[in-house]
Amino acid sequence: MIAPSSEVHVTVAGALAAIFIAGTVGSTLWWMLHPPSSYVQLIAERAESDLERMVGSLIVVFSPEIDSAHMMALAAKLARGERSELLALYVIEVPYTLPPDAEMAIEEREALDALGAAETIANSNNVTIRTETLKTRSTKQAVLDVAKREKADLIILGSFREGKYSGAPLGRTIEEIAADAKCDVLIGVEGKHGTLLIDESAQASSQPI
Amino acid sequence: MARSTKGSGPELRRTVTPWGSFAWGYSDVGADIFVGLGLVLAWAAGASNVAFLFAGIVYVCIGLAYTELAATYPVAGGGQYFVMRGLGDIFGFIAGWAVLLDFTIDVTLFAWSSVDYSSQLLPALVNSIHPWLHFTVVLALVVGLCILNVIGVRESTAFNGFVSALDVISETCILCFGFLFAFRPQLLIHAMHFNWPSPYDLMLGTSLAIVSFVGLESISQAAQETQRPASIIPRTSVSLILTILIFALAYSNLALGLAPWHPIVDAAGHAQQFWQIFPHNADNQGKAVALLAAQVPYYGAFAALYVPVLGAVLLLISSNSGVFGSSRIAYAMSSSNLLPSIFQRVHGKYRTPTISIVFFSTIAIVELIFAAAPALHPSVGSLYAHFFHGENGLEFLADLYAFGAATSYSFVFLGLIALRLSDPLSPRKFKIPLNLPLHVRGERVEFPVIAVIGFIGIFSILMFTLRTHALGRIFGPSWLLLGLILYLVYRAYRRLPLLRSQQRNWRAAQVDILRRAGELELMDEYVANLKASDARRAAPRT
Repeated sequence: MIAPSSEVHVTVAGALAAIFIAGTVGSTLWWMLHPPSSYVQLIAERAESDLERMVGSLIVVFSPEIDSAHMMALAAKLARGERSELLALYVIEVPYTLPPDAEMAIEEREALDALGAAETIANSNNVTIRTETLKTRSTKQAVLDVAKREKADLIILGSFREGKYSGAPLGRTIEEIAADAKCDVLIGVEGKHGTLLIDESAQASSQPI
Repeated sequence: MARSTKGSGPELRRTVTPWGSFAWGYSDVGADIFVGLGLVLAWAAGASNVAFLFAGIVYVCIGLAYTELAATYPVAGGGQYFVMRGLGDIFGFIAGWAVLLDFTIDVTLFAWSSVDYSSQLLPALVNSIHPWLHFTVVLALVVGLCILNVIGVRESTAFNGFVSALDVISETCILCFGFLFAFRPQLLIHAMHFNWPSPYDLMLGTSLAIVSFVGLESISQAAQETQRPASIIPRTSVSLILTILIFALAYSNLALGLAPWHPIVDAAGHAQQFWQIFPHNADNQGKAVALLAAQVPYYGAFAALYVPVLGAVLLLISSNSGVFGSSRIAYAMSSSNLLPSIFQRVHGKYRTPTISIVFFSTIAIVELIFAAAPALHPSVGSLYAHFFHGENGLEFLADLYAFGAATSYSFVFLGLIALRLSDPLSPRKFKIPLNLPLHVRGERVEFPVIAVIGFIGIFSILMFTLRTHALGRIFGPSWLLLGLILYLVYRAYRRLPLLRSQQRNWRAAQVDILRRAGELELMDEYVANLKASDARRAAPRT
């Protein structure tokens, strides 16, 4: 019989077999791990890529008219998940009856509180935040200018404060920003949390049998 | 008010990814070559590669059949469900009962082999030297797995995936380095030319080679938890089929043509080929891959240390898949009124099918006792030698494994043919190639030629098993007979049809299956097919 050799030498057949095995196993597994997407997956993938485009740079807008504290918490969570740049902007609208750089102590104090709270929320979510206070004749124009300067992908606004009804359901400033912004705008109108089911059940029980 | 369209009962979450689905199957089938290689080399000798090729062709046909069925009917039942749906309840029971035999054997066989691989590093576990210790450790493993499954502890899918990935890389490396550094074509030709086995041994070797390809069932069992099963399962199944086939053919050819790194000599000092260490040596048969890996130049120095460990872990995972697979199949069969409802009973505290797990683990222990008995007591050994050609424990377990697999696969082929004829409207995202177009009851159907070829192949392997396996031909049919009696008694007790099937609304079931699978486009296609078919049938009357 042929004695097996303990010497090592490479044969053409052996080398070809080795290449065939590695190539076939590798390509088969690669093919397996890259199946075509279904229609539902394509929709989901498109939405995911839209989100990436949407949340690269975020601006959260505060003003005496716009209450965005609850949206700040949402923005911080979003920024943490997507590693976005976050800017908290407080806009003080100076009436035309005053000079542009007029001192507005109450509003400026409110700005410090709002931006301080924004920083606290950002810190607790481990997100880096920049803050800025602006005095302007028009809140809308100031927000749009900052958005342009920052190349913002998303402007986040809260709801207008009660008692400042300006003829528009969401508040005129908020609606104008949403209408004229060149990027996405997220508006968070605060509801009465936890009251929906109670109201419905109360209505149902009050109906005559 | 908006209403949820989902059912009120909890549904299995679809968390199994493409790799998870592959790993699920690989942890079962991938371990088979660790057991099968040594057995086939022992019997088929110079024709081992031919035995693997024949079994491999049959396996490809089986794989394609399972792929089509699992993608079309992504439910947890696997083979027994396909057969029940295609051929009726009693055949579904036989197929499921045969699979249950395989799963119980799976527990013992792979726990046994896991200990054999461990013995490569721990010589105290060598069966021929310390049979009682070997038996005790295997028994402890089976009991341990049973307890872990009862209390609901399982290896995580991530662990399964990790071990599978490690094994695919490892086996690819062994084969690549082996062919590159140690393969001599002239040794392969020499072995095939001068050591061609007798027809009897070739039949025996071929029937054992099918052992290396058992476990595709696992992918279809996980279908219910796989993401987009109709799209993913064909890919994972085809990849599994190809990978395992390449490994099996490559291992057998390499083993026959391997020039060992460390020269092997027989008792007389004559040089031997590598494959010659397997005949009449049960210890070597149980750890063939580890022995081969150690003989690969350079890489073998490293492989000799980790392959026994990797093999032992993979085999233990495979053994565990037998424990939970058997309880899973029993649960599905019980849900379809093929087995008593006791197999569905879930433990109040652990939320696991305790009775099912304990029952099938006990059967696995009985099989272990039968397998280990000849080594444990000389009088039993002489009894086996007289009546059963002296089959060793590993061969006994492999016999039954081959019998169970060949039986259930034969029925799966028949189920596939029946479903092609009786349910042509279900969308088939994957279809076996080579089909003959026919018209049956006004519907266009495609008759699967490959299924006929596969059936002939697997049926011939079943005949080989019955012809050549002295223990398998007694215990295998006895298992089926016992099951049939249990089935008939249960059906009579429940006042269900004994030989006929229960009435089921398969149309509604199929819509529900596709909806639950998240295959909404296929569900729409199926509903459209049903409407078109109904319209065609109604047309002549109007």
